[in-house]
Amino acid sequence: MTFKRWTVVSILLAGTTLAGVLVQVRTRESNIDKKPVRYIKDPNPAWSSIAVNAENNMVVMTDENLFRVVEYSRLDNTPPKARFTEPKRIISGNQTRMEMLCGSYIDPKTLDVYVVNNDTQDWMPVFSKNAKGNVAPDRLLATPHRSWGIAGDDARQELYITIQFPSAIAVYRKTAANNDAPIRMIEGDATELADPHGIALDMKEDILIVANHGHRRFYGGAAVSTLGTETWEQWIGKTTYDLNTLPRRYLPGLGKFDLPSINIYARGANGNTAPLRVIKGPNTQLNWPSHVAVYEDRGEIFVANDADDSILVFRTSDSGDAAPIRVIKGPKTKVKNPTGLSLDVKNGELWVANMGNFAATVFPINADGDVAPIRTIRGGPADQVGLMIGNPGAVGYDSKRQQILVPN
Amino acid sequence: MLSRTMHDIRYNAVDDEILVPNPFSNAILVFRGGADGQEAPIRIIQGPNTELNGADRLDIDLEHREIFVPQPGTILVFPLDGKGDVRPKRVIRGADTQIEGRSIAVDPIHNLVATTGRDQSIVIFDRTANGNVKPLHWIKGPNTQIDRINQMAAYPAGKLLVVAMPGRQGDMEPPRVFVGMWNLDDDGDVSPKWTITGKQTGLKKPFAVAINPDHKEIYVTDMRLNGVMAFSVPEVFKPAAETRGR
Repeated sequence: MTFKRWTVVSILLAGTTLAGVLVQVRTRESNIDKKPVRYIKDPNPAWSSIAVNAENNMVVMTDENLFRVVEYSRLDNTPPKARFTEPKRIISGNQTRMEMLCGSYIDPKTLDVYVVNNDTQDWMPVFSKNAKGNVAPDRLLATPHRSWGIAGDDARQELYITIQFPSAIAVYRKTAANNDAPIRMIEGDATELADPHGIALDMKEDILIVANHGHRRFYGGAAVSTLGTETWEQWIGKTTYDLNTLPRRYLPGLGKFDLPSINIYARGANGNTAPLRVIKGPNTQLNWPSHVAVYEDRGEIFVANDADDSILVFRTSDSGDAAPIRVIKGPKTKVKNPTGLSLDVKNGELWVANMGNFAATVFPINADGDVAPIRTIRGGPADQVGLMIGNPGAVGYDSKRQQILVPN
Repeated sequence: MLSRTMHDIRYNAVDDEILVPNPFSNAILVFRGGADGQEAPIRIIQGPNTELNGADRLDIDLEHREIFVPQPGTILVFPLDGKGDVRPKRVIRGADTQIEGRSIAVDPIHNLVATTGRDQSIVIFDRTANGNVKPLHWIKGPNTQIDRINQMAAYPAGKLLVVAMPGRQGDMEPPRVFVGMWNLDDDGDVSPKWTITGKQTGLKKPFAVAINPDHKEIYVTDMRLNGVMAFSVPEVFKPAAETRGR
């Protein structure tokens, strides 16, 4: 599967006021301190994950563009002509340790909100149900660089976090903080983890479900795991800065493009353990599968299928090149680059966080096909689309077309 | 085949192609210049002979038709039309090189290639260097004010290196961030010749730079803003002969 998400920019937005506090830099010639002649910035949110607590009518979303955690009421519904719905609370600012937010989880007992940063902040901040504004987290856990998805095991009081690269799943005690080590890791060639993203638990079947984008690298030989010969302290480093500098034992050149997949493991899997089964193949329609959720009573896996603008539903018993049993997709759905997904089994609802149109769309849990959402919470105007500029780590210039290339 | 992590992108104006690295699959992807939507790459460099190992940046030399790829301790050089499991033409690697290898920029006019060096520095080699060679120039020291370097770009006509300095990894809003510019023959503990930073610029965490000499503009992406800025800086785009000796 191929998907390109670089933004070709030829829009010119001039005169935007920016702010910043910077240290003066010494130069030999001079410093250039002037406004950009053009500034391209999406003022609207880019929803990257969603968590729902039905008992408290609580909907939490992470915003990868404006670096915010926002809470809405489960019953909010943005009127068609309204610009957006005001959140009940917003957590944001430089005290929060939040930037490129990718995952979220609500503790069902405490209503604490756990969020996962990817790539630029190697922390998992935890906020109490009353946290609001630019506040320090109530708790911080140092997480490996490129952590992405999160799932909670409330029976065992454990947290599962996916790590894109080196592909791994770290399992922590739910109370873990600071530089606490995970209690187990799933990692190694046998796991078939390949740039893992979303993660969910099926307590009824005692299984762990992981969505993979399909980018693989191999350790090779006996070096099957990063943690095989290193202590956690060596791996996590003395500070999170060290995470970028630690050597990896991947063999040069042993990279591979695999098809995206849903890997299913035993819930207690540990180490370099093979999946019980893998859903993978052209019939699956998987394309950048992101967050996943499980409807245990019906034995169904829901997948936010980012690059296909769709929601896929599989059976938890599926294996191999299985076609989804339901696909929510089409213009009526308003599903656009869905990365977040959550189930409200109590009220029979499926929640989708769309990065492409800053909307949370709500469907009946058994929805199928090109169906309109029953409610929508928009974070921006209905007639605009998201620029989806997220952690723009590079820029290029196409001199032929006079376009700026922005990979995200 | 693109990953959610892309830390470089270069446009090949001669062949109308776009090059993007994929560090998670150890690959260099080449797309049509006009590629759109879910379009497959036209070439992929990938395989055990490539020695690619986590490379997530690159630059291209259209004059000599080569791809330069930095990775920890190493620079790999491939033919621009390289495909599949191709061996690098040259490999700069070894203790004498002082290479860190986070970023890269090539000047085909003056036959120079710059990459990040150990201890927050910039090392500059002859473009044709191969093996365990010492850098021609090593920009290093407190006056450089280098905390971390992300993407680099060269302005060969001005013999200039442009780098994005996003501050220390992990800082939410680092106090020292700038776009820095050095001459490619600078050496030692020297301040940047030019910088772009300050309140008016709005820069908070500049992650990447690209240059447009035709319009005398520098494009900067800022991670903290999730935005793209265009700075008009005609004072920077001067031929090397006009700025010699400064």
